[in-house]
Amino acid sequence: MTDWAALVGPTWVASGGAADAVDGVVPARVVRPGSLAEVQTVVRAVAEHRQALVASGRGAHLDMGAPPARLDVLLRLDRLTRVVDHQAADMTVTVEAGCPLAALGAALGSAGQWLSLDPPRPEETTVGGLVAANLSGPLRASQGGVRDLLIGLRVVNADGAVVAGGGRVVKNVAGYDLPKLHVGALGSVGVIVEATFKVRPRPPVEEAVVVACGTAREAAETALVLRDSDAAPLWLQVAGAGGLPEGPGEGAAAVVGLGGIAEEVADARACVERVGASLGLRTLFVTDGAALRARLGAFAVEPAAAVLRAATLPSEVGSVMERLAATARERQTVVRCLADAATGVVRAALTEVLAVGPLVKTVRPDLERHGGTLVVERAVPDAKVGVDVWGDPGPGLRLMRSLKAAFDPGGIFSPGRYVGSL
Amino acid sequence: MLPASLVARLRAVVGADGIVDRPEALLVYECDGYTLERAAPEVVVLPRTPAEVSAVLRVLAADHVSFVPRGAGTGLSGGTLPIGAPVMIGTSRLGRIETIDVRNHRIVAQAGVVNQWVTNAVRAHGLCYAPDPSSQPACSIGGNIAENSGGPHTLKYGVTTNHVLGVELALPSGELVTLGGAVEDRPGYDLVGLVVGAEGTFGIVTRATLRLVRVPAAHRTLLAVFDSVDAASEAVSGIIAAGIVPAALEMMDRLIVQAVEAAFKVGLPTDAGAVLLIEIDGPAAGLDAHAARATAVCRTAGVREIRVARDEAERAALWKCRKRAFGAVGRLAPNYCTQDGVVPRTRVPEIVRHIAAVAARHRLRIANVFHAGDGNIHPILLFDERDRDEVARVRAAGREILETCVALGGSLTGEHGIGVEKVAEMPLLFGPDDLVAMTRLRAVFDPEGRANPHKIFPDAKVCVETRVPRRQAAV
Repeated sequence: MTDWAALVGPTWVASGGAADAVDGVVPARVVRPGSLAEVQTVVRAVAEHRQALVASGRGAHLDMGAPPARLDVLLRLDRLTRVVDHQAADMTVTVEAGCPLAALGAALGSAGQWLSLDPPRPEETTVGGLVAANLSGPLRASQGGVRDLLIGLRVVNADGAVVAGGGRVVKNVAGYDLPKLHVGALGSVGVIVEATFKVRPRPPVEEAVVVACGTAREAAETALVLRDSDAAPLWLQVAGAGGLPEGPGEGAAAVVGLGGIAEEVADARACVERVGASLGLRTLFVTDGAALRARLGAFAVEPAAAVLRAATLPSEVGSVMERLAATARERQTVVRCLADAATGVVRAALTEVLAVGPLVKTVRPDLERHGGTLVVERAVPDAKVGVDVWGDPGPGLRLMRSLKAAFDPGGIFSPGRYVGSL
Repeated sequence: MLPASLVARLRAVVGADGIVDRPEALLVYECDGYTLERAAPEVVVLPRTPAEVSAVLRVLAADHVSFVPRGAGTGLSGGTLPIGAPVMIGTSRLGRIETIDVRNHRIVAQAGVVNQWVTNAVRAHGLCYAPDPSSQPACSIGGNIAENSGGPHTLKYGVTTNHVLGVELALPSGELVTLGGAVEDRPGYDLVGLVVGAEGTFGIVTRATLRLVRVPAAHRTLLAVFDSVDAASEAVSGIIAAGIVPAALEMMDRLIVQAVEAAFKVGLPTDAGAVLLIEIDGPAAGLDAHAARATAVCRTAGVREIRVARDEAERAALWKCRKRAFGAVGRLAPNYCTQDGVVPRTRVPEIVRHIAAVAARHRLRIANVFHAGDGNIHPILLFDERDRDEVARVRAAGREILETCVALGGSLTGEHGIGVEKVAEMPLLFGPDDLVAMTRLRAVFDPEGRANPHKIFPDAKVCVETRVPRRQAAV
């Protein structure tokens, strides 16, 4: 048996409890290393005893993926919180995996910069979780996702070695782009210990405009007009009926975020108003655009039996939202939908556990036939029973299996949580 | 020598006009834009469709024959040099744009489609393909994907990997596999992100789904003239620090300015220490304010003169100086070789000073034209191929510059790739564990190591004919 206390100190080892469960699977131990060397030691010990670990930051997003097939150690990285190097003039930041995004945001904010990724729960979301779960928020519409901003990564691999990929410069094609392997991989091929990102100047002014629409389809169409307008949206969401936490009436809406210096935002606002008027739609101006953005981003994690994530082409967002709503109605239940009009990602929140499986089985085949996907992004453990969380990962699955075998031959990293039961 | 029966089987796949095997015809293929090393393949195969690429690879797989993919041959790191690979597979006949989806800002193009054609095909819809390497009138989408190419506008718009949503990859086994696609967020590992920039070592990309972006509504293009590279670098840092993200921030030093002026007669001051090309784009509303702030920063840095392009023609003239700077270098010396190191943007003055010192020490002339906003330098080492000693000094100087880039926290290459050119320098940047991880990744796609062998990774290098170049890179 491994003497965990000898490896990381007795203070930082505990027996796993219900609060540490990953999709209902309770780990035997919770281990919290205090240094990179200790992470390596823990990984080596897990590998040596053919055990399994799930890496975690503050545990805010452990309800993603399929339940782990095995789980011995919950490896918490919440003691590795340093902002290692913020070079404001280089517009890069290197940060340890356990650093919460809120703390990182505060450090960058003092230089007028931000890491332009805005997943929900920034106090509880760590940098490692951001990368491993490929989290984002409304800003992705204009700023790109983790894969677009991550320029370097350090990972502890299955041998316990530290492997570096990328670097600290914004442009770099030396060797393979190893950081991409870990983005959204849910820790299935290594433990992320440090990441380097491009950062950007934060727009000094951020506002928003809600364009009230009759239906989700109309809202999605309106959003595409706004996307191609000189409003140059900072973010662009489509809310189905009841999808917007606040707004004009109960109907659907296109919600556009505007950012920049004052004259840019004023001009963009006028542009949105012109678009609204030309379509005969009412517009509602929101002064605090960032606050509305945060509330929209929180949709993905608000209490629900499950949040589904459908991906489609931007032109199909309206019809996918209507189809989700109609299917729910047929099952005498309700979904609320919120979509990113620029990326074509539609989220649907369900309140009834028993509705999750049937809805997924009804909607997914049609989406997949048209090149789309449907993932159960988050769910309470009961809602995942008998449900394929990931759906069809596509023709790349054979290569993905080889990848997993190459980087985690012993199956120590989050076995069973990832696509294809990897 | 390849058996005649193998060539016959390849000919059966691609037709007689798809096989190049006469020695004089093969001369074209013995190098790309990196001319310091040469090696001719035994045969070049030119498939017309993705299915033919697959069939060609199946023929090669049956006999365990290695191959080198080649796009337009504009690469600058010798990535298409056939070392230990007798067969070259050219994608130039895979030239179809297959679908254009204006509403979703997507285009599907075959590997041999020229970068510039993509933008030409969608320009009327107000869209463009953002990555614009200097070789864009010639380089191919497949080559761009292999190298993860950049260009002057990457500062704001990113590089190739940020604009490729899906690829069809012909694995070395011949299997065609579709990765990613028009819809974002497919569950599973980001295989597309791994294929982009793999320098053709995972197989051959046959077609790709690309993201298009809106053509910016307006531009402000400024040319700022400084007395020294240091002053211009200070302006670069100041612009970034002011929270401005220009579309491009390009620097040219005195040697380049003189060459450009001699070639194009655009009225650049030939006594200037450095010239900065600053482009700001986006909706018209804020542009004047941003341009005014950039101008103020330049004044603080001691700018001598600022010219503003008044119309599209003047803008095109300013860009012509930058994009054709490499061509103008031909006036300075019979031959040149370009490096592609990267440093953190704030270290640009240091690396430029270092380059000057290296030039003096090795008795070389080195001109600089580079993506200052990204910290991506392009020192151009001038030489005469007939001077063997000078060629040796060029190699030594290039290595010293790259060593310093790494020491300053940078990288060996920002957009040209490792190829054969910088294989020996990889250990400067990556340790044994990093390299092992990369070779594991390669084996997932190419377990036999037959796709573009002896590139990227240091290994027991196979004998390659090294000689001085006879002609110049076309970039």
